[in-house]
Amino acid sequence: MTTLRHAAAIARKDLRSEFRTKESINSTLSFSVVILLLFSFAFDPSPDMIVEFGGGLLWMVFAFAGALIVNRSFARELPNDCIDVLVSSPASGASLFLGKAVAAFVLLFGIECICLPVFGIFYNITWWRSLGGLMGVLALGTWALACAGTFFSALTMNLRLRELMLPMLLYPMLIPALLSAMMLTNTLLTGQPIPSDFTVWLRILIGFNIMFTTLSLYLAETILVR
Amino acid sequence: MRTKLILALGAVAGPLLLRNLYVIMFGVPDEMEQGPIYRIFYYHLPAFLTAAACYFGALVASVLYLAKKDQKYDAFAVSATETGLAFAAVNLITGMIWGRIIWGIWWAWDPRLTWALICWLVYFGYLMLRTAIDDPTERAKNSAVLSVFASASVAVTWKAIEWWRTQHPGPVLSIRTGGVQKIDPMMENMIYMNTLALLLLAAIFVLVRLRQEEVQREIDGLRRYAHAMN
Amino acid sequence: MDERNITFMFYGLAVAWGLLAVYAVLLGLRERNLTKQLDTLKRMVEEKK
Repeated sequence: MTTLRHAAAIARKDLRSEFRTKESINSTLSFSVVILLLFSFAFDPSPDMIVEFGGGLLWMVFAFAGALIVNRSFARELPNDCIDVLVSSPASGASLFLGKAVAAFVLLFGIECICLPVFGIFYNITWWRSLGGLMGVLALGTWALACAGTFFSALTMNLRLRELMLPMLLYPMLIPALLSAMMLTNTLLTGQPIPSDFTVWLRILIGFNIMFTTLSLYLAETILVR
Repeated sequence: MRTKLILALGAVAGPLLLRNLYVIMFGVPDEMEQGPIYRIFYYHLPAFLTAAACYFGALVASVLYLAKKDQKYDAFAVSATETGLAFAAVNLITGMIWGRIIWGIWWAWDPRLTWALICWLVYFGYLMLRTAIDDPTERAKNSAVLSVFASASVAVTWKAIEWWRTQHPGPVLSIRTGGVQKIDPMMENMIYMNTLALLLLAAIFVLVRLRQEEVQREIDGLRRYAHAMN
Repeated sequence: MDERNITFMFYGLAVAWGLLAVYAVLLGLRERNLTKQLDTLKRMVEEKK
């Protein structure tokens, strides 16, 4: 219970400081829109084509945006040795990690919700036909990104070339989650009901989330305390 | 002691590797449909099995490191991962050469190929992470954690891409097919023999690499000592 | 069987042996480098004493 309370406090702190400066939100949002734009130039897709690879395109954008956001999650605490204070505070490593992951999740989810309409306008498709399912998949995929991303952000916090190392370690490991999210999003964008054999993708996505969340919570203390 | 073990393993592995090569070239018959090219398989599958054994060893060593915080487990983890990557490279590239003849393409986005490539990238990231951290304890801790995550991710990835259609030939060894003999027993024996040879070779690599890690630590210690004397 | 089949078999075997040989050589080079470093350091420490 204390863990959750501490986590909530950390998440609130992170979000508040983010909304004051808006540095990651602004840069990530404009970056995502630019990528959406570039893809449209690169492939000049027709509406039928977009239905085929829309999910993939969206998740590529979200994965880039996610790496930008989580990169800041722990790096933000480095100046003035804030991280040392956080680690020596009564909050455990797990709650510190959880709080930061939740903050990253909220930010990323917000950015995705802005990107979706932009995507719909640029590529001229009606994406809201199965809104509930889409939001569910979005939430699951975003949690996978935020959770694994925040953990790897802690892992690479003190590294040379941190900005380069994080995506290099993160993306290959996220492949099962991203793959499932892409598959599910693709189907949901068409508005057709999800075929029954697609539940396996849902299971993989949920399984990935459970596995990574458990491992991260369990190992966060080891990584953060030195 | 360590040197003697390495030499002894070498004395067994070397002749065995050469003998296997001889038998593979001249002893076993051509496969009916594929012709001589199938002989690559005698390295392809054993290399994969060896790499898998190395990755697994690295996982065990990483977990042990996290539990006991002893540098020797970290040294073993990095040695095994690096050796595993070498054998996985053999597995991937021999597979590509085989695919060029049998499928007509170098690379197919088939689950097993994709999985092997992702595996390679993930563990290569592990080695990259190590080069970026200077402090030995910090490096050992962070890379052990990464190794645990890598194994978890690799396991899920295996499940995930199993759901793609497959182009890769299915299992042929009788231990995997439930006793059904899919290939000639002579060929199957040859695969086991070469797996043994490659495993011995991998053991030598790991031992040599392990000794290098120890020498490296000695060097670091001496450096600090020399520095302190100034 | 056609020519290419046999040629590619040789390529495959060469790659299998070649890659492992390259790794072994790399290990050897690293070994030599480390031994040299260790010797230099040991001599340095001796001299200082």
